[in-house]
Amino acid sequence: MIWNTLYDNLPYLLHGTWIALQLLAGLLAIGLVLGLALALVEVYGGRLARVCGIVFERVFRGIPAVVLLLLSYYGVSDFIEIPPFLAAVLALGLRSTAYQSQIFRGAIQAVPVGQMMAARALGMGRVEAIFRIVIPQAMRHAIGPWTNEFSSELKATSLAYVIGVIELTRQAKYIISSTQGNILIVFGVVAIIYFIINRLGNIALYRLEARMTVPGFERRRA
Amino acid sequence: MSEFLDFAAEHLPYILEGLPTTLALWILAITFGFFFGLLLAWCRIYGGRLAYSLATVYVEIFRGTPMLVQMFFIYLGLPEIGIVFDPFTAAVVAIGLNTSAYQAEYFRGALLSVPSGQMAAAQAMGMSRMQALIQIVLPQALRRVLPQWSNEAILELKFTSIAFAIGVTEITARAEKIGYQTFEFFNTFVLVALVYLVLTATVAELLAWLERKTYVPGVTARAG
Amino acid sequence: MSTVLRVESIVKRYSDHAVLNGVSLELARGEAKVIMGPSGTGKSTLLRCINHLTPPDEGRVFLEGEELTSENINKIRQRLAFVFQDFNLFLHLTVLDNVRIGPRRILGQSKEEATERALTELRRVGLEDRANYYPAQLSGGQQQRASIARALAMDPKVILFDEPTSALDPELTGEVVAVMKQLASEGMTMLVVSHEVAFARSAADKIIFMEGGYIVEEATPEVILRNPRSDRTRGFLKAIGEQEAV
Repeated sequence: MIWNTLYDNLPYLLHGTWIALQLLAGLLAIGLVLGLALALVEVYGGRLARVCGIVFERVFRGIPAVVLLLLSYYGVSDFIEIPPFLAAVLALGLRSTAYQSQIFRGAIQAVPVGQMMAARALGMGRVEAIFRIVIPQAMRHAIGPWTNEFSSELKATSLAYVIGVIELTRQAKYIISSTQGNILIVFGVVAIIYFIINRLGNIALYRLEARMTVPGFERRRA
Repeated sequence: MSEFLDFAAEHLPYILEGLPTTLALWILAITFGFFFGLLLAWCRIYGGRLAYSLATVYVEIFRGTPMLVQMFFIYLGLPEIGIVFDPFTAAVVAIGLNTSAYQAEYFRGALLSVPSGQMAAAQAMGMSRMQALIQIVLPQALRRVLPQWSNEAILELKFTSIAFAIGVTEITARAEKIGYQTFEFFNTFVLVALVYLVLTATVAELLAWLERKTYVPGVTARAG
Repeated sequence: MSTVLRVESIVKRYSDHAVLNGVSLELARGEAKVIMGPSGTGKSTLLRCINHLTPPDEGRVFLEGEELTSENINKIRQRLAFVFQDFNLFLHLTVLDNVRIGPRRILGQSKEEATERALTELRRVGLEDRANYYPAQLSGGQQQRASIARALAMDPKVILFDEPTSALDPELTGEVVAVMKQLASEGMTMLVVSHEVAFARSAADKIIFMEGGYIVEEATPEVILRNPRSDRTRGFLKAIGEQEAV
């Protein structure tokens, strides 16, 4: 029966979910660190840094995730052996860097210039002013768009399927081929798992946003 | 470098033979998404309880799950209940259904952002509600939505590459084939990446032109 | 009287248009000077050049005999406070944290010490009951008083005020002017760009009249407001309706 099949295969689905979550955490972390660094360089760096940053953004946002995955796995394998999971984290992480740097750049630019000026006038150094005054405010502007980025990257983890990462979507394909059928049910269940993770993640991020909000930073609804 | 150029010269034509498929997939999907998205937005703003609920559930489901899973569901799953698509049609349906959910949200935001005085003024002139919506509110909403819509369209252009997973021989699938023939995967995928870069840049340019062309002072901020 | 702040021949150009044409001035300890003049004559630029928020093209600035350089600028600014036209309170911090962040993070005081200092300064500007509010919850006048408290908490030798009341609704300028008058009477050394004649008349030791990037004249409020030497000063005062009958 269908339910038995599902029950028997539940451990595989859960394991696939776990891999997908690891992939998601890894790629978002890469995107967060590099994306913030890139945004800071673009806003505060010289002309050359800005140009390099914009080229990086354009390139990684202009190429489909599938192609980046294929390039980072098969392409890199021309030179060195690379495990599919690592290839996926790198490809999707760099792509997320491009999207996140855009989010952070906008958020930093949304902080009024007077804030930096007032911090400098108090005698703060530039770097200290960036970390104590600008970034805390920018993060409050960034968290709304970042929640969207979370959702879109969660869905993008399924694309790691194409380079053989045994995440949730590939586990579903395995179950289907080993049980000869139940396709609608299995993909339905997989869809529900993605849906629930997305919801839980969004709820957590909305909570975080609410906790970070102070008067004057209320979300400006479009 | 010259080695790569030789490689490109030899294999680019074969990859580009997939271009009509990629473009057809894209245009059919975003056009379908445009009309269905408008309908969904309409249901969510002006529809009754039932229409509102159905449209909302639809949008939530399609925005909350990955497109690849949706595509497998349609291409591999639906035949179980007797609905069979060829790969290309399945891809059009999957991408079209997916983008309609996103487009619906952009349309909804844009329709709601048109000042209510516009509707009042149109009705005061004697227009019916429907007439006012179509002749006054919608043209303004579409101009307002264009920048977001352009982003969405470009996103979907890149998503057409997912169709390769169900065997549509568009650009990416053809590149993969070359990769397995030549075992020069790096060159192959750099080449196809460049093809997509040119493609997305060209489309972005076209849409920016459209934005400038339809610009009306006061309705939207000036197109960049 | 000892000189606290000395400004020597400041020149500032934007492209090839000179905004400041060699401006010099001095401030003795406890002195309050008000800079007046038509808009666009470089008053605010001068103030920003003094603490290098806008680096001058030429000229030198000395605070207590020490010359401002790009190396010591952060140290100097700790003693050379600046009050902005549009307050620039840190938007993500409460009023208390705004005032406390300087002593705590820049001067390195303990949390208790910095808090006590901040509360003292907030009392001084009459805002102790607003300590836990965020800037967005305050009126403009309250925000400007909080930003003055933020400046005071650094224990500055000089405070530079850049049109502190011009972003405020007319009915809110009074509370800010009152705080500034009180500071002047307590002996704070102040350089104020402002059109508040009431403040200049009652609290300033000298009024400096600037036009076209030059200092046209400098004199006591009585002289400037009653009998200015320069026709241009007279014209300006007439324009803002403040020239008294000769």
